[in-house]
Amino acid sequence: MVLADESELRSTDERGLADEGSVSEGPRPYVARSLWLSSEALGLTAKIDVVEGSEDGSVIPIEYKRGKAPEVPEGAYLPERAQLGAQVLLLREHGYICNAADIYFAGSKKRISIGIDDTLLTTVRDAVRRVRVLCSRTELPPPLEDSPKCDGCSLIGICLPDETNLLRKERSRADDAAPSALRRLHPARDDRLPLYVTEPGARIGVDGSELVVRGKEQTTRARLPNTSHVSLFGNVQISTQALRRLMEQGISVTFLSSGGWFYGRAEGIGSNNVDLRMAQHRAAADPATCLQLARAFVEAKIRNSRTMLRRNHDGIAQSVLFELEQLARKAAESERIESLLGLEGTAARVYFGAFSGMLRGEAARTFDLDGRNRRPPKDPVNALLSLAYATLARELTVALGNAGLDPLLGFYHRPRFGRPALALDMMEELRPVIADSVVLTALNTGVVGESDFLRHPVGVSLTPAARKRLLLAHERRMDQIVTHPVFGYQVSWRRMLEVQARLLGRFLLGEIPTYPQLRPR
Amino acid sequence: MRQAFIVTYDVRDPKRLRRVYRVLRGYGRHLQLSVFQCELDARERVELMAKLRKAVHHDEDQVLFVDIGPADGRGATSIESIGVAYVPEERRAIIV
Ligand code: SF4
Repeated sequence: MVLADESELRSTDERGLADEGSVSEGPRPYVARSLWLSSEALGLTAKIDVVEGSEDGSVIPIEYKRGKAPEVPEGAYLPERAQLGAQVLLLREHGYICNAADIYFAGSKKRISIGIDDTLLTTVRDAVRRVRVLCSRTELPPPLEDSPKCDGCSLIGICLPDETNLLRKERSRADDAAPSALRRLHPARDDRLPLYVTEPGARIGVDGSELVVRGKEQTTRARLPNTSHVSLFGNVQISTQALRRLMEQGISVTFLSSGGWFYGRAEGIGSNNVDLRMAQHRAAADPATCLQLARAFVEAKIRNSRTMLRRNHDGIAQSVLFELEQLARKAAESERIESLLGLEGTAARVYFGAFSGMLRGEAARTFDLDGRNRRPPKDPVNALLSLAYATLARELTVALGNAGLDPLLGFYHRPRFGRPALALDMMEELRPVIADSVVLTALNTGVVGESDFLRHPVGVSLTPAARKRLLLAHERRMDQIVTHPVFGYQVSWRRMLEVQARLLGRFLLGEIPTYPQLRPR
Repeated sequence: MRQAFIVTYDVRDPKRLRRVYRVLRGYGRHLQLSVFQCELDARERVELMAKLRKAVHHDEDQVLFVDIGPADGRGATSIESIGVAYVPEERRAIIV
């Protein structure tokens, strides 16, 4: 819950003190403040602002409200009266005689007595029972429809009410329908930014609310509240204190080789959603669901490759575009995952065969690409593509983990030791429009040039400086604001991936009928 | 969404001054002596205020928060400088 104002935070700070408050101390009449009471039997916990005791042994809970007293015959609205009803029930449960309750409205400096009768207490008991039932269900209640309440709700980024409702209704979206313009209730981009540490030997510690990275030549500081994620490349040291602070703040940390190969991820215990994990495992065990998702991933990948060529290749042959179109159609109708692999391979050959045509200026003269190869990449373009894919895979692993999904369990890519199969699944549709686009921009704008590559007998690698520049180019792309192809609002690519990961979760939980492909026009 | 603040402080004791400075470093940019620029969402604002409340002496010190508008709106354009140029903090990932 977002803290509405600081009084709430203060009250949590003071909780330790409040726990010791007890009604029975002191001479009567007495007053106890911030009294915490809970009862298993009632299923309730409350912090009571003030409890007043009187000579005859009975007590009265008093609730402070900042606002003015409303002009209603009962003295206060139902939610407030129910709150006091609950406090009365708790006090009685703990053995106090309690037949009255008051609200103090600071706005009008009035203390109002609330009638405590059986109707109110029954209402409270019923409400508690309803909430309990709701909590015990595994599926979420559907989000509100077009509700003004959502604006400002702290769960907005997780709940995605308008997005989910749109996808629940539109069972089949026409292929080229214009994106529906939804209210964008969550921020267009993440306020926080990642920290990458690639310098060998750098040591990361923590000082106050800052991470301190000590390199050979300089010290860099990163504010924790400003950090979304930490990526450690190669031989970088991090202190236990720093790791613990990162876990506490829910900032995930990924460990990679100096070349960007993904080893793993450390995260706090915050966000695991067990029901979602179970739904994911069930879906992965169901061949029909696997096929449905695999088709969506591969079709979108082929269509997005086609879009890249159409946009960036001046002399693209119509026959190439046509062939990709045909392959995408076949992928959408494919009945077996094995045939999808074949279609994907063919499409990749066609696409990478034309890839060099998207290079411009100096880059077009210097670089060539003879199909896709890796481990080790044999030419500069492939070396860049490998790093860009590894970076995107890491990005998606984090997004999926944050959405409560298991990045290792995929639907199209089969699980294999240490392979983030689900991240690779989701990456299919995004490779062309994010990773390839980053590589092309870097080459076409001269951010990376011929002198940035080291040629070995077995292959080609990037200099450390060029690697940093490519990471920066990737970051710029992730932070770039674009129109969401399905929802029509402006968001950064990174936010778009987060939304996409959550929607995949919604699909797995059966709340939306299809997984929405991301296909920029 | 974040809101931009100018946070200034007057702290009478060197030990508390260091503490206030260290707390603020985690939340914003040190702009001038005893002046920070912070971009905070609702939660961070409450967090920062709570930490400062613990760090200062309530009868001797003072911290002021001046709200200068949304971080990506007025908050980003409302500062003008005379003398050394004011350079807004660049929004970008940190790569070491
Ligand atoms: S965003 Fe979701 S949880 Fe929040 S008010 Fe809307 S429907 Fe309810």
